[in-house]
Amino acid sequence: MQSDPRNRPKGNREKRRTALSAYFFVSPFFLLFLIFGLFPMLFSFYLAFFRWDGLGEMTYVGLANFEFIFNDPVFYSSILNTFIIGLLGTLPQIVFAILIAFALNSALIKFRNTFRTIIFLPYITSVVAVAIIFGVVFNNQPFGFVNYILSLFEVDPIRWNAEYWPVKIAIATMVFWRWVGYNTIIFLAGMQSIPKELYEAAKIDGATISQQIRLVTLPMLKPITLFVVFTATIGSLQLFTEPLIFLGRNLREEGITMVAYLWRDAFVYNSFGTASAAAIALFFIIIVLTVINLLITSRLGRSKKVG
Amino acid sequence: MTKWLKFGAVPLLSVSLLAACGGSDGENGGSSEGVESETTSETIGSGEIELVFWEFGNTGYDKLIEEYVEENPDISINLQNSDMNDMHDNLFTSISADTGAPDIALVEEAQIERYRTAEDSFNNLYDLGAGDVQEDFLDWVWHNGENADGDFVFGLPTDIGPTVMFYRTDVFEEAGFDSSPEAVSELIPTWDAYEEVALQIYEETGKLMTDAGELIYNARRDQASEQYFNTDEELIMDDHPEIREAYDYTADFFDQDLAGDIPLWTPEWFAGMDDGSYATMLAPAWMQGVIKDNSPEEGIWSITTMPEGAGNWGGSFLTIPSETEHAEEAYDFISWLTAPEQQLKSFQDYGLFPSTPAVYEMPEFIDYEDPYFGGIPTAQVFSEAAQQVIPVYKGRNYYAVDDVMKEAIDNVSAGDDRDEEWEASLDTIDRILAR
Repeated sequence: MQSDPRNRPKGNREKRRTALSAYFFVSPFFLLFLIFGLFPMLFSFYLAFFRWDGLGEMTYVGLANFEFIFNDPVFYSSILNTFIIGLLGTLPQIVFAILIAFALNSALIKFRNTFRTIIFLPYITSVVAVAIIFGVVFNNQPFGFVNYILSLFEVDPIRWNAEYWPVKIAIATMVFWRWVGYNTIIFLAGMQSIPKELYEAAKIDGATISQQIRLVTLPMLKPITLFVVFTATIGSLQLFTEPLIFLGRNLREEGITMVAYLWRDAFVYNSFGTASAAAIALFFIIIVLTVINLLITSRLGRSKKVG
Repeated sequence: MTKWLKFGAVPLLSVSLLAACGGSDGENGGSSEGVESETTSETIGSGEIELVFWEFGNTGYDKLIEEYVEENPDISINLQNSDMNDMHDNLFTSISADTGAPDIALVEEAQIERYRTAEDSFNNLYDLGAGDVQEDFLDWVWHNGENADGDFVFGLPTDIGPTVMFYRTDVFEEAGFDSSPEAVSELIPTWDAYEEVALQIYEETGKLMTDAGELIYNARRDQASEQYFNTDEELIMDDHPEIREAYDYTADFFDQDLAGDIPLWTPEWFAGMDDGSYATMLAPAWMQGVIKDNSPEEGIWSITTMPEGAGNWGGSFLTIPSETEHAEEAYDFISWLTAPEQQLKSFQDYGLFPSTPAVYEMPEFIDYEDPYFGGIPTAQVFSEAAQQVIPVYKGRNYYAVDDVMKEAIDNVSAGDDRDEEWEASLDTIDRILAR
């Protein structure tokens, strides 16, 4: 390839021009990031030290906003809610997604492609539509869908949008329903990369289906599972639309999530300072979680090499 | 199998109901929880100057605008309608960012408080000649659109929401009462009488007096001479008995099972209007459109005065953000739109109750008889109510505080202790105000 004229050594000037044009071509991302990413982020840090209603004067208040949110029990509820709803929504989801993916992957099921499409459909549904439909399903009235079914088992009607656990279960169900198909598809893709011979060998050794899942599928899916767990973690931390539509702008303490908390501070209470302080707290919570995630990943990665 | 089909049909039906009602619930003070409405936009007229006009709810202004652009061919108006909360949030954001605000914005009465600190962002309509039309409007509404000093006016009032008592003639008759508006008005002059009648209706027919405690609370709240804040923005709920009385009165209804616990603007609430499960609805003038939409049969609902006077719930102002380049044209348009002649049309077509008392004297208004409400002169009932309204200062945190109270009422309706809820609400309100 030495003879190719395009690859001959370049002069300094030409090198600089190449470098410049490279920067030029990558610049749109950085410009957009500066305007829509970095600037709002830094401004949010700045705002956290001010009291501001969005329209009037900004007054410097030092750490008062942080003091305020750290003394606000609702702030802690919002963190706890986020974790509870996150766990309720994602853990069963991952278990189900693996089972459904295994079923779709096995040769036993007919119309596999149709089922794959159907299972993926919830993911492309608008969140608002999902929240409205589930609002009807988890209706407080005795004739609400779930309450009616419960009444057949002589359970009293539950106030789905007001009681501590029901709120969380209802929102987690929405999350479950919307994301289970997405994760199924990811798992399915992972399963199809597992060599068929492993299953054949297992069958010859007399492994049952549950043994096949436990001893072949799951270990081979480890990287995929990690990916799904990470995206699910991020997704739960960002949980916002479901509680907002399900609970309304008032966002009861039983169901408010972290992002909903800071949104309400800013746009319902017009308190952009405390909202920014909450955003920064959220930022640090995410950093901590990311570090924990990284530690777990590297450990799992190592054990895989050893095993 | 058919049983399961029924299960499926219930949510589906409710959803279609919800969708059908989505359009009407945004008007004035209705919190349209769970309803995501789209922004619709249409440009009317082909003039050189285009005015962008943001509105919400069902105003019917498109018809009036057509009239206006015919007379003013150099103007065209781009009318953009969206959900009430969305529109106000967008206005707030664009004003805060100093870019993107429309030439004209419809601002709801309680929402106007949010913009009080932003005089710079709006045109002072006094500078554009609003002083000349001030006399046309009800005094108390006009002052709601002013700043505290009274030298800056944010908007021209479009309509108001004087509260009356809607009631079902069939339920009243079933309970053995005369159901004419005069008789019902005499039967229920006070809140004590309202409670007694509620008990009787419950005994005779097994029906509730009202579907949602929120409406009783709202009615009494709106009659209060002061609500949550005084004009110095200090919270006065604790040492000012009227709100506590409204709250206790509502709780009494729950204790005696006289009120349902169905939240406003939900599909069940809309359905309840039609199936006669409750006898009265304490609501403002603009609610008549909602009732008509949801309970189409004529002559079932009627209107009479509310016990112990009227309050005001809702109403809007037309403002001109200072970003506009056509403040004068915009002012000409909004002063035309809020003039008595146009307000009469808004009332006849969409039930928006006029903020200009001159309309109350017009023969077309006085003689207006609504066949839907049994052919009674509804306009007179409303205008009587409008003139009884005592102006109240709402304050910039009005909505936040009111939401907390709604949550408390909701909890009480589910059986929580009223005193504990009251204390908890005050704590929550204190924290909101400390922000």
